[in-house]
This record gives sequence, structure tokens and C-alpha cells, in this order.
Amino acid sequence: MTTAQTTKPLLQVAKISHSFGGLHVLRGVDFGVSAGSITGLIGPNGAGKSTLFNIISGFLTPQHGSVQFDGRDITRDPVQTRARAGLVRTFQTPKVFAKLSVRENLMLGCYRHLSSGVGGNMLRSRRSRLEIEQMQAQAAETGERFGLGDVMERPAGQVPAGRQRIVELARGCVTAPRLLMLDEPSSGLNTTEIEQLRELLRQLNSEGITIVLVSHDMRLVDVASRVHVLCFGSIIASGAMEQIKRDERVREAYLGI
Amino acid sequence: MSPVRHAIVWGLAFALWAALPFAATRHVVDLLVFAGLYTIAGLGVAFLLGQCGIVSLAQSVFYGIGAYCAAWFCVQKGLPSPVGMAAGIVLSTSIAALVGWPILRLSGYFLALATLALGIIGQVLFLEWDGITGGTLGIGGIPRIAPFGFAFDTPLRFYFLVWPIALLLLALHHNLLHSRNGLALRAMRDSPEAAAVLGVDIHRLKVQMFVLSAALGSLAGGLFAHYVTFVSVDSFAIDRSISFLLLAVLGGVYTVWGPALGALFITILPQWLSRLGDIHAFVFAAALIAAVILLPEGFGGAIRNWWRARAAK
Amino acid sequence: MSVSLLLQSVLSGLTNGFVYGLVGLGLAAIFRGTRIINAMQGDFALLGGITAALLLERLGWPMALAFACAVAVGGIAGWLMELLLIRPLRRRGGSEDSYLLLTLGVAFAVSAFVLYAVGRDSHSLPGLGGEGIVVIGDASIRTHAVWLIAISLATMAGLRLFFAKTALGLSMLAAALDAEGALTTGINVPLMRTLTFALGGLVGGLAGILVGPLVTVYFDMGLLLTLKGFAAAILGGLANPMGAIAGGVTLGLLESLAIVTVSSGYKDVIAMVILIVIMIVMPNGLLGRRLRKGG
Repeated sequence: MTTAQTTKPLLQVAKISHSFGGLHVLRGVDFGVSAGSITGLIGPNGAGKSTLFNIISGFLTPQHGSVQFDGRDITRDPVQTRARAGLVRTFQTPKVFAKLSVRENLMLGCYRHLSSGVGGNMLRSRRSRLEIEQMQAQAAETGERFGLGDVMERPAGQVPAGRQRIVELARGCVTAPRLLMLDEPSSGLNTTEIEQLRELLRQLNSEGITIVLVSHDMRLVDVASRVHVLCFGSIIASGAMEQIKRDERVREAYLGI
Repeated sequence: MSPVRHAIVWGLAFALWAALPFAATRHVVDLLVFAGLYTIAGLGVAFLLGQCGIVSLAQSVFYGIGAYCAAWFCVQKGLPSPVGMAAGIVLSTSIAALVGWPILRLSGYFLALATLALGIIGQVLFLEWDGITGGTLGIGGIPRIAPFGFAFDTPLRFYFLVWPIALLLLALHHNLLHSRNGLALRAMRDSPEAAAVLGVDIHRLKVQMFVLSAALGSLAGGLFAHYVTFVSVDSFAIDRSISFLLLAVLGGVYTVWGPALGALFITILPQWLSRLGDIHAFVFAAALIAAVILLPEGFGGAIRNWWRARAAK
Repeated sequence: MSVSLLLQSVLSGLTNGFVYGLVGLGLAAIFRGTRIINAMQGDFALLGGITAALLLERLGWPMALAFACAVAVGGIAGWLMELLLIRPLRRRGGSEDSYLLLTLGVAFAVSAFVLYAVGRDSHSLPGLGGEGIVVIGDASIRTHAVWLIAISLATMAGLRLFFAKTALGLSMLAAALDAEGALTTGINVPLMRTLTFALGGLVGGLAGILVGPLVTVYFDMGLLLTLKGFAAAILGGLANPMGAIAGGVTLGLLESLAIVTVSSGYKDVIAMVILIVIMIVMPNGLLGRRLRKGG
């Protein structure tokens, strides 16, 4: 699965540097993600993965550098603008809408594709009613697919943590993202669940969703076609998983910490 | 409940509502009219709190703008009542949009206190700009609402003007809650980050809700002016905002008809307590405290939960 | 504008500023200790002021005793509020807006209670130093105002010492900064929270007896004082109670300036606009320390 050198990457991160209070967290990070691939981002704790993630998804504006998505510079775009362009992320601790039911959580995944205004909503315009039907249908379908059928009506906050992660992921998929960014999706999951997650990611990828994965779990990152290793704020190695495992600097980074 | 039973219950409720003012004394009907006005203004505060988590103490300003516009356009300019009320709504929503845009970026305590500051600004300006508002002397002689010669000039008649409007607005609110944006609003409260990641423009929605809330306050104020025919600054001070907030919290901000319940409570209770002197303000405050600690979903929420628990058995 | 007018304006701005600063100090101390914005801080001043007024007018107590009692009443009110109202809400999982509604409710309750019990009249308090004035150049301020400034500064210094050197103060600070850690070292964290509120109440009550002689005490003075105290606290950086004094002085001076350039009727409008602008433009105070937006 090599990327064509001539096509522009879907996501391009260029010379990103950022520091908190005098601490340099990221130094000149450069990498690209090509459409249709699964990319892994690994590194020891404190390497700057979360910061980088937050910068790409819009929760942080970098002090230097730029982020390009689908040819557009999104470095200063707010989170919801990026989401509407198809860049969707999950969180290390799953953020579900606790008081809403699982079904309603999934329904919200459709939000960015719909366009009814508040006025139309109040008057129950035709568009509003159709939208609700669409949202219900999508939610039901995705709920089935992710095996959430039995908890659809339960408030999402009352679902066990592992399944909350699934809810969050399912909701992300309902948005039909172009790029799905997953932040430590395997924490809290057991071996079987991780295996299921791997399969799921492969499936989603085969449907055309580009995936970027931050994880410290090697079994999960295995599914990536290209991996970048972040250490002390810069990328020290990039390539296929096999290459990375054999790289001297990577072993030092992980064993030396 | 079967559709037939449903229809019977609704029919009875309607009949009760329609018959009530004829059976009650003029004084009680007057109170019910005020309850209707407060339902409209209180609804604005209620959905801001319930759907967006925003405590707003600025509603008295929009209530006042609505009333003064009605007064000014009709008394000074001799224009018909819809013009005055429309002008009030336009002015209120414009101010809400202009002021709301920056301050709704604040959150929690800061935002609430900013709205309180707005309420005080409004209170002082209504007093200071007495060229327009008449200051403490007020503006009198506001004409009745009288489409095609039928004047809504008695409490009984006004009851049948204000309550259909109030109930219609409650129904619209219900529609909003069960729509895509309504869902987004509720989601925003639980996890703003997750909502943003799904493409929800949180700030924009908050401003839209604030503008809507102002429109409701203004509408209520305009109707108020045409009902009492005389308005002065005393009606538009901070304690008016407090009443609106109070009725929203007591009635319950998570149910559609909560505001109506809260409005009835705060109009009827002072009557009961009038024998004890000026104590109703303290009772209201105590009720607010009790509601916040013991009944966070208000009476409306408590009733709804009780009903659901019954249905589940 | 003449120099003497300017000077007079500065003096009155300073005086008011220290009152705002004192209210802000209490607010910030409570915020730091409990992360709750006490929307009834100004009503501690009301309680202190009205207690002093009643003790002096109706029971004829000597001034020192009445004032001491008034401050104590503020402290007791704070203590009771935390114990009887805040704790139960905490137990039931209060969200930020429910704490706000609670303290607002108490603010209204205190105001309404005073209205019911004492009526709408304003009550005046005797000033420290009686009716004496201090003349500075062409301007003058009441001796009481000088005392006010001195006491405010002393309170600030005293609290600083308290939190830095005394065992109790350090415990309260520890509980504020790291509740779990403090628990493990044996600090009674819930008690520390209660004491924080009591302290806020004491400072609020003090503000009441200091401001009473200048503007009289009346039932709805609380809300505006709270808002101005809040502005002072934000200017000083919410997490830094000592900064509130500086913030208050800044606000007081700006307000005075506004009065002489615009008009006295707009005094409160200008203070409120300043508050809103501060919240939007510099929520971390003049010194710009890092703080979560919105407190």
C-alpha cells in the first residue's frame, strides 16, 4: 500500500512548533497523510502526541507552522469548521453526550450534513421532519452495525466505559468523515475488543475513510500502513511498521525512557 | 394511552382552560393574564438555562424595550399596536445579537454576571433616558390592542389573547427541542467539545437562542404595555429579571410547560401571602434556594418524573 | 477640569475603590478556596451594615462593640451558608450554574429579608473619627475614609500573613490548591471550605461597616456591590485575592473619572460596562495570569 507520490496528501502538517510556558512540546513536526491510508502516530509519553492531535483537530492553534486539509489551510479554523470539512476526531476519554440516549448520540452524527435552521425547526417545516427521519434511520443502521442495538435507548452516560468508546466511534462514523482521527482508541479495551477494533478500522478504511491513529498499543498500530514516531516533539522515524520496529533510534527512545 | 383517550384528555383540558376565566373573579383573571405574560418572558429565560446552560438576568431589559416601544410608537406616533410590538422585537433582537456576540463567548459565572450587569445597565438607562421612557412618571394612555374594532380591554378578553400566544410559543419550543438543532443544544450542554467535533457551531447557536429569548421578552413586554396601558421604570428593574429567572427554575427548565407552571406560581402566591405583609420576595428567594438544592428539575420536572415512574409500573 | 476637582475625584475614587477591593477580596478568597463565585458577597456587607445599624440605633450599643458584632455576623452568615446550603448541594452534585443560582438565591433572600424586617429606609452608620475631615490641598475626605483605606490595607496584609505563615491559613490554602493531597495529610478539607466562606463573610461584613457611613445601608445595596467587587476581583486576577484590592482601586478611580467627565447618573452604567469589557478583554486580570476562561 504505497502512496502515489504525485497526489497531494489529504492532510499535510508542516513545521509545527509549539511550546507551553518555556517548554518546547513540538519542534518542527512535518508529515503528510495520504487519502485512503491508515497512519499511526506513536511515541513515548510526553512526546507531544496529544498536543499535535489538538493542533490538527483545532483545539489548539500552533505557534508556528501550518496544517493543510484537502488543499486548504486550516491552521486557524475553529473546530466545527474542520468538522464540516470532514475532519473528525475522538477523544482519549470518550466524550459522549451523557444525558442523551445512545440513539440521540448517533443521530447527532448527521448534524454536519443537514441544514435546517432554528426557525424551520420551531415550525416543524418539511425539511425539519425529513431530517429527523434521516437521523433516526442513520442512527438505527449504525447502531446495528456497531452492536449497540441493546443500549440504544439508554442514556449514554450510563453505558459502561468500553462501550462508550464504541458509541463515540460509531457517532464519528455516522458523520461520514473524510479523515477520522482516533486518540488512544484502545485504552480500556481487552485483547478481544482490540482485535475487533482492528477489524473495524480495516473495514472503515476499505470504505474510503482515511484514518489517523494515536496509540501506544503496538497491536493496534499494526493495522497502519505508515507510522510516524514522535519523540520529544519531533518525528524521529517514519515508515512501515516493520521498518520502525527495527529502527535503532526508536528502540532507544522507547527503552531509554 | 389510546388516541381516543388522548383526545378526551386534551379536550377536557381545553374546556377547562376556556371556562376558567368565566368562573373566576375579575381579580383572579387579571392574575392569570399576568401569568400568561410571565410565561412568555419566562420561556425565554427557561430555554436559555435548560438547553444552553445560560443563566440570564437580562430579560427585564428586553421586556422593558418591548413595553416602551409599544408605548412610544402608539402614544407618541399614533401608530397601530403591531407596529410598536414589531419595533420592540426588532430593537430587542438587534441589541441581543450585538451584545450577545461578544459576551456569549464567556461561560458560566462570567456570562451570568455579564447578563446581570446588562440588567442593571438597562435599569439605569430606562431611568436616565426619561425623554423617551418618561422616567418614574412613566408613559400612560397606551391604547388597547383592537384589531378590526374588537378591543382587548378587559382581563377576560386579554386572557384569550395572551394564553393562546403563550401556548403556541410553548408548542414551538417543543418542536425545537425535538429537532436537529434542539438535539444539538442539549448535546452542547453535555460536552461542548464533542458537539464542536460534529460540526455544531456552538457560539452561533447560543447567540441565536439569546436573540430568540430577547424576542420573547420583548413580545411579553409589548403585550404587557397594551394590557396595563401605563408603564414606568419600576416594572423593568432587576427584580423583574429575578422573577423571570425564578419562575423558570421553579417551574422546571427541562419540561416544555415548566414556564407556565412557574408563572402561575409566582403570580398566585403573593396573593396568598399578602396577609403577612411584604414577605413574598423572601418566600420566592427561599423557594429558589430549595428548588436548586432539592428539586433541580423544578416542579415541572418532578411532576414529569413522578408521572413516568407511575407509567413504568 | 480644575485640579481641585480632579483631586477630590481621585480621593473619592480611592475610597470607593478600597471598598470594592475589600468585597473583591472576599469574593476571590472564596473562589480560590471553593471555586464558587459567591454572588451574594455584597450581601455580607448588607448584613454587617444593617446589624451595626440596628445594634446602634435600637439597642444603643457602643460603636466598637456593634461594629465587632457586625463583622462577626458576616462571618457566621458565611459559615452557616456553606454548612447548610452549599454542602447539601455539593452532595447532590451541583453544576456550576446551580451554585450560581444558589448564591443568587441567597442574595435575594438576604435582601428580601432585610426589606421585610427593616423596611426600605436607609440607615446611616457613624464613621470612624466621627464627622472629622482630612484636608489635602483643595480637596478633603472624611477621616473615616482614611480609616477605611488603612483598615483595608491592614486586612490585605493580615490575610497575606495568615495564608503564608499560620498553620490554619496554610491548611486552607493547601485544601484549596489540592483537595485530595490535603486530605491525605490529615487536613479536614470540608472544614477548610466552611472556614473559607466564613472568612469571606467576615471580610464582607467588614466592608459593610466601612462603607455604611459613606453611602448608608439599604436593603438592595448588595447586588451592585457584588458586581463591582467581582470586577475588582477579576482585574486583580481571580485566583489572587490580594490583587482584588488593586483591582478595586483601579475600578474606583475609573468610576470617579467617569462621574466628572460624563454624569453621576451614569456612574453605575459605566462601572457595569467596565465589568463586561474586563471580562471579555482580560479575564485573567491586569497581570494576565493563566486561568480557565469563565472561571
